[in-house]
Amino acid sequence: MAAAGGGGGGGGRATTSGCGLKRRYAPHDQEEETMNQDQSSKEDWCGRLWNGMDLLKDVTENKHVLPTGLEGIDTLLGGGLCQGQLTEVTGPSSSGKTQVCLHSASHAAVKHMGVVMYLDTSNSFSPSRIATIIDGTNDLSDQRGFDLPHKERLKTMMRSIVCKSVFDIFGMFEVLHQLEVSLLNDKVKSGGRKICLLIIDSISSLLAPIIGGKYPQGRSMMISVAMILKKLAYKHNLSVLVTNHMVSAGNGAVKPALGESWKAVPHVRLVISREHGSNICTATVLKHTLLVFPLAI
Amino acid sequence: MAHETPGDDFAYDLRFQVVKVMNQLVMVIRLCQGAQNAWDMLSDEQSQKHTTTGSGDLNDLLGGGIHCKEVTEIGGVPGVGKTQLGIQLAINVQIPVEYGGLGGKAVYIDTEGSFMVERVYQIAEGCIRDILEHFPHSHEKSSSGQKQLQPEHFLVDIYYFRICSYTEQIAVINYLEKFLGEHKDVRIVVIDSVTFHFRQDFEDLALRTRVLSGLSLKLMKIAKTYNLAVVLLNQVTTKFTEGSFQLTLALGDSWSHSCANRVILYWNGNERYACLDKSPSLPVASAPYAVTGKGIRDDLHTNLREVDATEQATIVFLYLNMWHIIHSQINTVIREKQLQGGQLPIGMDNS
Repeated sequence: MAAAGGGGGGGGRATTSGCGLKRRYAPHDQEEETMNQDQSSKEDWCGRLWNGMDLLKDVTENKHVLPTGLEGIDTLLGGGLCQGQLTEVTGPSSSGKTQVCLHSASHAAVKHMGVVMYLDTSNSFSPSRIATIIDGTNDLSDQRGFDLPHKERLKTMMRSIVCKSVFDIFGMFEVLHQLEVSLLNDKVKSGGRKICLLIIDSISSLLAPIIGGKYPQGRSMMISVAMILKKLAYKHNLSVLVTNHMVSAGNGAVKPALGESWKAVPHVRLVISREHGSNICTATVLKHTLLVFPLAI
Repeated sequence: MAHETPGDDFAYDLRFQVVKVMNQLVMVIRLCQGAQNAWDMLSDEQSQKHTTTGSGDLNDLLGGGIHCKEVTEIGGVPGVGKTQLGIQLAINVQIPVEYGGLGGKAVYIDTEGSFMVERVYQIAEGCIRDILEHFPHSHEKSSSGQKQLQPEHFLVDIYYFRICSYTEQIAVINYLEKFLGEHKDVRIVVIDSVTFHFRQDFEDLALRTRVLSGLSLKLMKIAKTYNLAVVLLNQVTTKFTEGSFQLTLALGDSWSHSCANRVILYWNGNERYACLDKSPSLPVASAPYAVTGKGIRDDLHTNLREVDATEQATIVFLYLNMWHIIHSQINTVIREKQLQGGQLPIGMDNS
């Protein structure tokens, strides 16, 4: 029964080969399990069986909705970004995808919902824009003359947004792994601010150099990233917001990048577009797990 | 806990200890290595200087000039002044810190062969003349400062690469990282026509997309790591959308996602305009500019600030030099005659 962990709930499995198998298949659960000695961890390890009432209770109590701060998008999303779900925003170039991400980050910071982790792949994270958005949502004070308490408030709010630039897919894997490990660690101690929102601006620009061609590694990396993101969202109750871009689909039409395999990954998909020369963006829902929209194919 | 053998107890304890030590180590690592919070980034950004484009209106459009740590794409029809703007930026980045510039060097990667050295010399001279005009007292203080304000020094600090095929382009961008590690004072990289070699000879469009997105990721990484500005000049092409032909930047939809800022230069009647098409922090706007003998300057038909500069806002720069010399000679003759108190010959009253 060697290092199958202190989970006595799993104990009683007599054969060492069986435990060896378990060790190979579930290394993370073992670590997690030796850290938390209590009952619920044992149940996680051997696969806790949830019944419908438990799930409903979990959804109503734990899974909150993070509003993005943009009313139209919040209405389409049914309140905002759901915790535990992966939301994708796609659209042609300069249609406002980065602005949606910046607004969500600022809104989460303003409402003190937790730490926001922003992974930026195209150097489009603009702290001055975040400051402008935060100022806009607060009282209409003069932006030039920062009085001291106002500045302190801005400072604490902006401190809860953490940004990291990632420029290739392996860097992304590393960052997500580090995040996973540090989140597993945070489960032990209580208090401190937990991360509530993970934003990846343009995951498609990381995947574009490797997808396609005759080698399938690109697609498998895309699916690995998708699995890690969904696991992070589910286990640590995060909402994940991802942006994607459009590619041409023949005959002048455009479709979201990353292909058919990616279509199944996000829980909610939004398309936004902007008319040339105007400031108004329109959003459409491509896929939503909870709300029903009349289909327009 | 039921264990099979006493050995299991020991193994369990050992593993538990190892895991505990690992956790202690992990707690030391922050949430994510290399991450910065937004407040620190804001303070960094506010202390950053921008590279001026030479034209006040263009600078306002871009929020003070070209930003460091960002990739800016500038596209336009042929003849609207993209190369002029690229050369102007390569010169302006070298303005010394005491005159409000960045005091850095420039890397110019030329794919089309449009880098004319005589023109660069002229723009450098124009830039120096403007600096001395705005800061008339400073060159009297330090003679060493004045020695550096020679056009030759400006030319020396531009690193020039000439590229003849797309493989060379990929190679140069890969080499840039090593180059910039050795030359840490480079503050701008201008690539004149990043699209030129990719528009012909590429049958496999999917491969082209992959190669270009890889290139753009490398350029963004360079911009961020070495704290410099990357300026990409691009051509335009026509696209058939919604039943009409429109001008769009070359290389397609996938390339348009690769840069953070995009400026499009176009003609509006007889004037050149620049439109900021994509930016994470600035609104969409347009501004006029002009290409003069001294380089890119404000368009004075819409902006009557400096009176003596109206003489210089003409079309061809060679004309400009000749006119200036003749005019100054006529002026000296008129002044001499007036000092002598004599009558001016007929026809020399007006210039």
